Amino acid sequence: MKSLLRGLLAGAALLAPLAHADAVELTLWHMEQPPHRVQRIQELIDAFNETHPDITVKQEPQNWGEIYAKAPAAVAAGAGPDLLFAIPDFTPIMKGIGALESVEDFVNELDAKHDFIDSAVQSYSYDGGVWAVPLYNMAMSMWYRKSVFEEAGVKVPETWSEWKEAAEKLSSDNVYGVGLPANKQLYTDQTVYSFMVNGGASEIFAEDGTLRFNNPETVAAYEAYAELQKMSPPDSPSWTWGEAEACFASRSCGTILQFTVISTYDTQAEGDPDDLGVAPIPYKEGQTQHNTISYANAVMILSKDDAKREAAKTFISWLLEPENYGKFLNMEPGLFLPITADGAEAESFWNDPLAQKYKSQIETMIENSKNGMLFGFTSGRTFPSIAPISAQNIIAETLQRIVVDGQDPAQAVAAGEDRMREVAK
Amino acid sequence: MNRTPAWNIVLGVVVGFFTLLIGLPFWWVVTGSIKAPQEIIARTPTFFPHSFTLQHFDKLLSSSDYPVYLANSLIIASASTVITLLLAVPAAYAFFRMRFFGRETLYRAILLAYAFPSIVVLIPLFGMFVRLGLVDTLLGLVVVNAAFALPFSIWMLRSFFASVPKEIEEAAIMDGAGVFVILRRIMIPLIAPGLASVAIFAFVMAWTEYVFASVLIISDVKRPIPVGFAGIIGQYQIDWGLLLSGSVLAILPVVVLFGLVGRWFVRGLTEGAVK
Amino acid sequence: MLRESGILPFLLVAPALLFLAAILGWPLVSALLLSLQNITIIGSEGRWVGLSNYQAILGNPGFWKAAGLSAVWVVANAVVQTALALAAALVLNQRFPGVRVARTWIVLSWIVPTVVVVMIWRWLFSTSGGMVNPLLMSLGIIDRPIGFFGRPWTAMGTLIFINSWRWFPFLALMMLAGLTRIPDELFEAARIDGAGAFQRFRRITWPLLTPTLLVLAVVGTLLSFNVFDIIWLLTAGGPSGGTRTLPVMIYETAFKGYRLSEAATISVMATLLLMTFAVLATRWLAREADER
Repeated sequence: MKSLLRGLLAGAALLAPLAHADAVELTLWHMEQPPHRVQRIQELIDAFNETHPDITVKQEPQNWGEIYAKAPAAVAAGAGPDLLFAIPDFTPIMKGIGALESVEDFVNELDAKHDFIDSAVQSYSYDGGVWAVPLYNMAMSMWYRKSVFEEAGVKVPETWSEWKEAAEKLSSDNVYGVGLPANKQLYTDQTVYSFMVNGGASEIFAEDGTLRFNNPETVAAYEAYAELQKMSPPDSPSWTWGEAEACFASRSCGTILQFTVISTYDTQAEGDPDDLGVAPIPYKEGQTQHNTISYANAVMILSKDDAKREAAKTFISWLLEPENYGKFLNMEPGLFLPITADGAEAESFWNDPLAQKYKSQIETMIENSKNGMLFGFTSGRTFPSIAPISAQNIIAETLQRIVVDGQDPAQAVAAGEDRMREVAK
Repeated sequence: MNRTPAWNIVLGVVVGFFTLLIGLPFWWVVTGSIKAPQEIIARTPTFFPHSFTLQHFDKLLSSSDYPVYLANSLIIASASTVITLLLAVPAAYAFFRMRFFGRETLYRAILLAYAFPSIVVLIPLFGMFVRLGLVDTLLGLVVVNAAFALPFSIWMLRSFFASVPKEIEEAAIMDGAGVFVILRRIMIPLIAPGLASVAIFAFVMAWTEYVFASVLIISDVKRPIPVGFAGIIGQYQIDWGLLLSGSVLAILPVVVLFGLVGRWFVRGLTEGAVK
Repeated sequence: MLRESGILPFLLVAPALLFLAAILGWPLVSALLLSLQNITIIGSEGRWVGLSNYQAILGNPGFWKAAGLSAVWVVANAVVQTALALAAALVLNQRFPGVRVARTWIVLSWIVPTVVVVMIWRWLFSTSGGMVNPLLMSLGIIDRPIGFFGRPWTAMGTLIFINSWRWFPFLALMMLAGLTRIPDELFEAARIDGAGAFQRFRRITWPLLTPTLLVLAVVGTLLSFNVFDIIWLLTAGGPSGGTRTLPVMIYETAFKGYRLSEAATISVMATLLLMTFAVLATRWLAREADER
């Protein structure tokens, strides 16, 4: 199907007037590989290519598991792409090998037009520049079924102790009150950090760049997490996002933390929008605000050629226009959240059937995302050393010491900080 | 062959064990690929499907380039096999039949090709391939796969040559035949089943390779099946139905192929050459 | 044996050797050079630091733990696979209805791409829709679901099982090849002499199969040491580093820790270990073969 489309396009390109023979070609690498996402991106690219005859964009979907190895190698060998999607901790790597130039002016321009979420821009602003253009957001929330809560006489927990109580009430013979991962993997980094930001432990760096991971708040967060993790299924130490969702969809897990369960709930579970509950992640007793972890995904411009950089900027601007932006976000409805104020209101976003069906849930998710942060990229305190810390999943590794090895949380967190120091060198 | 009833039972049990060991997982995968999504992740899995749907296959074929991946895999595996054979047959013959300086050392050196972690080769190879223009080409993967299959193939072929009775060769030599004639007219036909085994080995090795393919191939249209399959797994969600149907389609071509030529693999090994 | 025929042998052998030298040899040398520098991210600049990387690695407990896990991995795989393969080969050497089919299709698990094998077992061992736990529970072997990848030793055991599942059929066929070379007459003679099944195995099968087994053991060890994708895709070396063999450590150091030179150093050390083993083993094998 896709190749047929490409073939037609190639044919059309051949027939185009020769005056436009000098089309600038852009290669885009992104990590949204599931087929329907690739398809949606291709639709957008085709629309762009048609209305911009002097630019031709091409996509090459890559795999998150491979990209950390592949991208630096490709750039070093001169075979890199012009545009590369990124998450905040991937950008310092590319910056470190000299592949990036600051796009501060461009981002300011777009900010004035569309109003970015501040924390999103912050995640890419350090060392006197802005190194990528925020593109879409993902933030975690807590998911449950309203009917299940009602039946067990549980109300939506606001604090950690309420959550523990609720989980205990929900647990039965083959139902687990809460499904938390304990894998040495990004998902676990994310869920653990969700506890940390809700327990006053959101900063792992001090002002001067030294590590302050080891502090009482962090230890308390790990303790609370480990307590709840005990009620999770026995294979949770090997979970990634997919397993948690499967647990929730099959009603084996009462509550989970996830960016979204909407599409799996809709296709693999009952798909009843009235029953799907989403709430902000519970905080520690004494905290006042529900926070969450949020990933501002962005796009980096790698090309050093001026014409290509200009073309890239044209493409990005086009993408962020409300009438196109919604379609872009809905390549995975409910997972990708708007990162701009006008995006959050865009008709193209809310027009999608799935978005309409789960409107209230998505609205809650957008609300939650406003208090989103990311470890290592908080309040302007970003240090390149976060990249190996994140790549090696040390936050998750520390949890495994507690959950798998049975270490004392205080000890584990101290060891975790030592590890961070070691890899950050 | 006379077997006591007791041995028959033992044999039956062991055969049953292996059948289940190999067969059960595939049964579950195939039946899973046609189950409705809810049934796939149900807490108590079902042995016989309670539902039937082709939606996973439909989604897979309509939104990904699976046929392209399949074609790529076929090309890569076939070409690797041909190159492996072209290089291995003369070398194996020379190692076996001829005496020359450094023969034993070189022969051992070939097997040592397996004595290092292939990961370490990855990055320098990538750099080398970029300079040679082999990155993101099927030829690059063909070269890599042939290199990995070569040592074991030479070893296997040498032992096949070894089982050809000397007299046949010596008669040919006395008739004044040169090496290439001997190879072409006599040796190769005699070890034909063995050749088939080596060919199938090289083919399967190339077919199943993932790590190098994932790094050396950049464009979607050049992906072989293992890499294409890894791609549909997805990052933040797992569509198990898609996964299972993808597994079935990744397995199907080799199963079909094996159905046609598989018996040669076994025959080649067990009969090898003239007894 | 043909007479030494001048340069002809070299002409026959050269293409293969040059090919291997180019594709595998040069990158190895490159890795060696890398290990003498201090390059971190690929493409960045580095200085020559002599043998300091080696010093650091030898003093790193993580390296020795990984080496130990690799040793466990290799030995356990060898034991499990040999046992399964030998049993299968003996069975396939018998005559019974369907043996032809069995011989052809036993390698079903070997012809499947590793990525697919990984995903299949990941699903089968999971608690949401996985078949293994319910099966074990219904057979009464366990009463609560197990998290197979949840503890270091169970994860290691599960990985060994999966890897063996994948490779034993291939080994079985190699062994079958060896078995079929044993002439039937020997067995007949032994039976006439009154030898029972076990005695026939011990006196005839085992000694004549040993050469094949030994070679398979050596090559099998080398190949199984190198297994990377199964471990990486299922546990990424976890939980808590419990399955972090040397190949996994190398990959992690290079591509997640962004310390390329360090990874190259570990690779060189691993290569030295393997090569020593391989050289000693092949020399010993050659001696065994000569003695027969």
